[in-house]
This record gives sequence, C-alpha cells and structure tokens, in this order.
Amino acid sequence: MPKLIIDNIPVEVTQGKTVLEAAKSVGITIPHFCWHPALGKAGACRVCAVKMVDGPVKGIQMSCMLEAQDGMVVSTTDAEAMAMRKQVIEWLMINHPHDCPVCDEGGECQLQDYTIAGGHGLRRYTGKKRTHVNQYLGPHIEHEMNRCIQCYRCVRFYQEFAGGTDFGVMGSAGRIYYGRVADGPLESPFAGNLVDICPTGVFTDKTARFRARYWDYDMAPSVCPHCSLGCNTVPAARYRELLKVIARQNDAVNGWFLCDKGRFTNSAVNAPERPRVPLIDGRQVAWEEALAALLLRIREIGTEYGAESLAIVGSSGLSMEAASLLHLLHEKTGAGSLCYFVDAGEAQQSATVTACLNEQASASMADIQAADLIALVECDLLQDGPMMALAVRQAWRRGAKISLVEDAAGTVAQNDNGLNSTDKLPFEVERVASLIDIPFADAAHPVIIFGGGDKMSEVMAEAGKTGAKLACLLGGPNSFGAALLAKEYGAISLAEAVADKKVRAVVSVEADIPPELLPKLVVVATLDWRNTETVKAAHIVLPTTAWVEMDGTYINNEGRAQRFKKVMQPGLPIKGLNPSLHPPREHTPLVPGGQSRPAWEILVDIVHRLGSEEDIQLFAGQWQRLRDLDATGNGLLLTDIERGIK
Amino acid sequence: MSVINDTKAILVGMWTTWKHIFGPSVTVQYPEEKRIPSPRYRARIVLTRDPDGGERCVACYLCSAACPVDCISMQSAEQENGRRYALWFRINFSRCIFCGLCAEACPTMAIQMTPDYEICNRDIMNLLYEKEDLLIDGCGKAPDYNFYHHAGIGVTQPRGAGDEERPPVDVRSLLP
Repeated sequence: MPKLIIDNIPVEVTQGKTVLEAAKSVGITIPHFCWHPALGKAGACRVCAVKMVDGPVKGIQMSCMLEAQDGMVVSTTDAEAMAMRKQVIEWLMINHPHDCPVCDEGGECQLQDYTIAGGHGLRRYTGKKRTHVNQYLGPHIEHEMNRCIQCYRCVRFYQEFAGGTDFGVMGSAGRIYYGRVADGPLESPFAGNLVDICPTGVFTDKTARFRARYWDYDMAPSVCPHCSLGCNTVPAARYRELLKVIARQNDAVNGWFLCDKGRFTNSAVNAPERPRVPLIDGRQVAWEEALAALLLRIREIGTEYGAESLAIVGSSGLSMEAASLLHLLHEKTGAGSLCYFVDAGEAQQSATVTACLNEQASASMADIQAADLIALVECDLLQDGPMMALAVRQAWRRGAKISLVEDAAGTVAQNDNGLNSTDKLPFEVERVASLIDIPFADAAHPVIIFGGGDKMSEVMAEAGKTGAKLACLLGGPNSFGAALLAKEYGAISLAEAVADKKVRAVVSVEADIPPELLPKLVVVATLDWRNTETVKAAHIVLPTTAWVEMDGTYINNEGRAQRFKKVMQPGLPIKGLNPSLHPPREHTPLVPGGQSRPAWEILVDIVHRLGSEEDIQLFAGQWQRLRDLDATGNGLLLTDIERGIK
Repeated sequence: MSVINDTKAILVGMWTTWKHIFGPSVTVQYPEEKRIPSPRYRARIVLTRDPDGGERCVACYLCSAACPVDCISMQSAEQENGRRYALWFRINFSRCIFCGLCAEACPTMAIQMTPDYEICNRDIMNLLYEKEDLLIDGCGKAPDYNFYHHAGIGVTQPRGAGDEERPPVDVRSLLP
C-alpha cells in the first residue's frame, strides 16, 4: 500500500493505482481526457500533468501514466504543471472548430470545461485548422470528426471494452481519424456509449440532435426498464419530452455503460398515441367518471358471472409500489384470480429463480466481471440482457474461460427472431454438451448464467454442488419482485387462470393480455401508459405514468431493489401541441394530456372506493427496508428473509 | 460668524435656483417631442440576419441561460442542410429588464438591442414577442459577421472550405 503526499494531503492507495486515481480518492480532480475509470490509461492527451516535487521520480509527469509509489510528493498546483496543462489545452484547441453554439455537447463538454478552467479564451495560433469528412454511423449517432482531440477513448471502448470490430482508428500523425472503413451503422450493441465517453462532441446522440442544453434538462437518477438487469440511467427530458438517456455509474450493476437497447428505445414515452386521458368505450371522460364506471362494471360482472370470473393481472414491468398493492384489489373485489405474470413459462421461471437464488449465490454484474469461469446455459445474452454480455467480456479479457452449454439438439437458445445471436457475442466461447463437462472445481470464482428453460433444476443442482454463483436473466425489470409477491399471495399466471376458470373480465395493470383472449372477455379494464393492443381493445382505460414520470422501485434479476426518481411531468410534449411553430399563448393551470397518475396511486384510489377504510401504506411488513431506498448508490440487495428463503 | 456663513449659503443656493429658472429647459415634451437615444441604447430586442440573408440565430440557448429574469424561451431544430435554427423563439417583454446580457452572450451576433424604447402596450399578451415579431431583415450591428463562415463544420460551404480551414485530410495516405 504505497503512501504519498498530494498537495500536502497524505494519501494511501492500493498497489497499482495511478497518481491520478490517488488524487481522485481524496477529492483532487486532475484534468484528464484519455484516462477513464473503466478504460484505464492511454497517455494520449497530456493534460493530466503534475509536478513531482520529491520521491522516486521528479519533474513534470503524466499523473495517469505514473503508478503511485511510496514517498512521492506531488503538486497539482505547481506553476510549471499548471503552465503545462494550460499549453496542452491551447494546443488541443488549435484544430478544434469554433462551433460550440451548434454542437450538442456544448454545456456537457469536458473539453469546454477544461478550456475555460485552463484560462484559454483567445486564439493565438494563426494557422489553419485541419478538417475531416464525417461518416454516416446509423440512426443513433452523429459523427463530427473536426471536433476530435485524439484521446483514443472511443476506439478503446469500442474495440477493447465492447469487442466491436467495425470501428477503429485510421490515418497517421495529424490525420488520425476515428470511424468505419465505409459509411454505415455501427454494429456493436454498445455503440451508444461513444456519446457518453467522448470528452467532446465527435459523437453526439442523433435522436436528441439539436433539442436542448444540459442546463435545461429535467434529470433524475433512474433505472432502465427494458430488461431484468436494472442498469442505472439518467434520462434527460425537456418540455415534457424524453430526449435521451445517459448511463449512470453503478459498479455493482452496469458499471459506467449502457446498451443501445436501453439508450435508444424510449420513444414510447413521447408517443402521440399514448393513452393520456381516461376512456370509457373510447370516450374521453374525467377520472371520477372512469373510476365509477370501473367499479360499476366490476359489480356487474360479480352479479352476472360471479366474482371468480374476474382476473387482476399485473406484469413484470410494473413498479414494486403498484405490484405490492395488487393483492388488495384482489381481496376487495373478491376476484377469482390474481396474476403477476401473463405467460405461464415466465411465471414458472421467475418463481424458480426467486426460490433458489439466495443472497450468497446470486452473482452481480461485478461478480461476473471478476469471475474466472463462466457457464452460459440457455441464454441469449444480447437479446435478454446485453450489458451482461459486456460483463462477461470483461471477465474473458481477464482470462476467464467461457463455456456455452448446448442443448440436446446441439444448438443453443434462439432469440425471438429465430436467429442465433451467439455468433455475435463479444467473447470467445467453448461449446460443451453438458454442465457436468465444465471443470468448476478448478475455478476460484465460477459463475453460471442461466436464461430460463427446462434445465432449471439441473443448473440449480450443479450450482449448489460446485458453489458457483448464479445469474439468471428474467423477463422484465421487476420480474424478481413480481415473483416474490406471486409466491406471497399464491398468485398464478393468467394463462393458468384462463385454462382453469372461466375468466370473463380482466383488470390489467400495465400487462399485455394475449390478443386471442381479448375478444372472449366481457370487460377489459386497463391501467397503462403504452398504446398496446390491450389498451386498444379495452373498455376502460386509465392512463398511468411511465417510469420517468414517477418515483418507483424495481427489483432486478439478482434481487437488488433500486429506486428510480421522477424525471419529468406527464403531459403532451410542447413539440406535439401546436404544429403552427410556437407553443400556445393561452395560460391554463392544467398540463395538456397531463392527467396520467402513477399506477399505485390509482390502485389506492380504487381500493378506497371499494369500501376500504384503512390507511394504505406502501411497503408494509417485510418490505419496510424499501421505504427509504436511496436512488443513488448501489441499491439494496434483498436478504434471504426478504426473498422468502429459509 | 455663523450668521455670515448662513447668509452666504442661502444666497449661493438661491443664485443657483434663479439661474436655472431663466436658463434653457431640459424637459422634453414626450410624446410630441422625442429624444434620440444613442445607438448603443438597450431597448427592444431583435434577431438579425447574416450578410447572406440567413437567420443568424442558431438557437444555442445561451441567451436564455444568461437571462436573469428567464424571459427568453426557444426550441432549436435542424434544417435539411444541417443548419441549426430556432423552430420557435419567444421573448416575454413584460418580464424583460433590458439588461443586455442576452446580446452579450450571443455567440453569433443574432440577438441585438435596439434604441426603440416605445413598446408599451395595453394588452400584456402583445408583449409576448414570437420569432416573426423579433426577426428583422438586416445585420444590425456587426454587418460583416457570418458565424457559419468561421464555425469550421461546413453547413454554408463545403467542409474544409472555410476561411481558417485546410481541405479535408486523406486518412488513407501514409505520407508523414
């Protein structure tokens, strides 16, 4: 453990850390472009210069390249070091265009910040600037090579960290160029991270091109709802429009990055066809009327077909708050079935996973990165949890062995499109016929990644025998929570309920009812924010808020509860209100289309109207720990008691 | 001696008063008579055009960020040729304090203050100026400046054809 002194502050860091990291650990920020916590050092930008006053090395040194050693005395504020950094900034700006006003990075640009911090305001160099021709990099990423400062971050991320092969560095000397051999969409499913990782505006988010500035964004810590991994995000909104999603650091889950699926598939929040007003048989009504109609129809169903014919259906995408209230609706209506899942297979898989996956055995993404042997069983990582593929790649880069268990037919799990995406995995795999063929005993930190299917019991048995940690890919962002609740309240899947009983009416809470079932139902009431087939066929629609429009909690695939905060007000985006160019000039206290309410709030309202006097509290009983969950930080890993495991 | 001093003070004061009673008047009979403010007077804000006739405003949001009373709002958008412009641009003059920080912040010389101080109105909604009310047909001050000629990213000219630029490099060349 080397001990050194930085700006008169004694610092002790673990062996192998750089001077820059040592300074960071005591809150001293040394400017840097090419160094990144996840990518390490490159020594390309020369802006992290410090003066070594005493110790094994002396003089001006690059703090990102220099390993911290005993006896070092470092000054970050030394006149010589400051002059060096100032001149490096000026030199990096020699070729940088004068286009900050029309650059989307402006306001969130590291180069801009350090240029101002370095005091470089007026251009002294009178020579001409080098220019480049840009490339078309697909519908998500805009390329502007003139802005490049050659820090190599993009190519280090794309090739080394994410294993992409279609993007690289070309040219030599002052002609360094980052791009593809020819124009075309970037193929890596992690290409969107170039936007976050570029310290200036070479790569910007095309989906949010020329929309707003950093200081105007509505932002809050959030969690990605597109798969069960629960990657941490910061969605950015403006004028009631979700503009883009930025990755948020969480070392236990997604690290620093985010997959393109999580980053670029959020347009449903802004969709003009999204339900935003309560509807009865397609007619827009007030909340009061819609809720009264819902109660009336529930009562009618009760008298006509019996309360058993009613099913209350939740989903794995529903926040824990709303999901934990569904049983109250079930009790008060006397409904025949309570379902947290529509599909029987998904319900079965989630139930088995939550029953077996105890706190000790569950592998976080950090565990996967640190593993030395990983077995992939019936999973399509790039489809069901791309960030886990990135985690496996990090383990593989460190020398871990990755084994892929083939099924009886000698193939591996296929994704929804019938394509086998294992060929595109960003790491090399060794195919084995069975789990037994994998030498778990030789590994210190083995992990089994399981995607679901009929090998469940075999995997669980093997994991128990070998002591390997388990990571399971589930269906939705709150599958784990929904399965725990399903077990607690004895819920079954909708498919089983339909097979068993005569389900004639459904109250769906952000669930997708199978289209073939919809025509057979007398009453379909749905609480949803997406314009799904269920919403189109529903008799009563109660608009709920999307995850970015409310506070909520998801429990991810390893049983980690994570809070997400409200980012933006629900309502029609100003952009969509008036096509005649400017926003309306009338003042109204109500937000147009802003009637959506969080699903849990509507459920509480319905339960009260059904005659419940009690004061309903969120997260009562064993869920109490979730009440004060902090949205920043690493979330809360459920204990075995909370998982219902003895 | 205080009597002499007091009398002197009264006489000096009265001398000044009588001098101004018979001197030339400084009162302007507004609105019949109008003063001509200096060209740098800070009143009604306009959006100017560059020498080629294009809108100078690139909707960079710097004026709205600089505005201490938050009276400027806009939405930026992209034209087909890649030029950034304001889809809508609104200044609420009922809130504006004419401090000039927006004009100072403007990196393209688009937003400028004019000496037109007569914008009072009986209906407050008429003080909500939209882009079509603000945009003028001229360069205002800085008649020669064209932001896109110096921006260094093309748009109004082919890439690498700007005043301070070299032609685009050939990345496939191996020459030093």
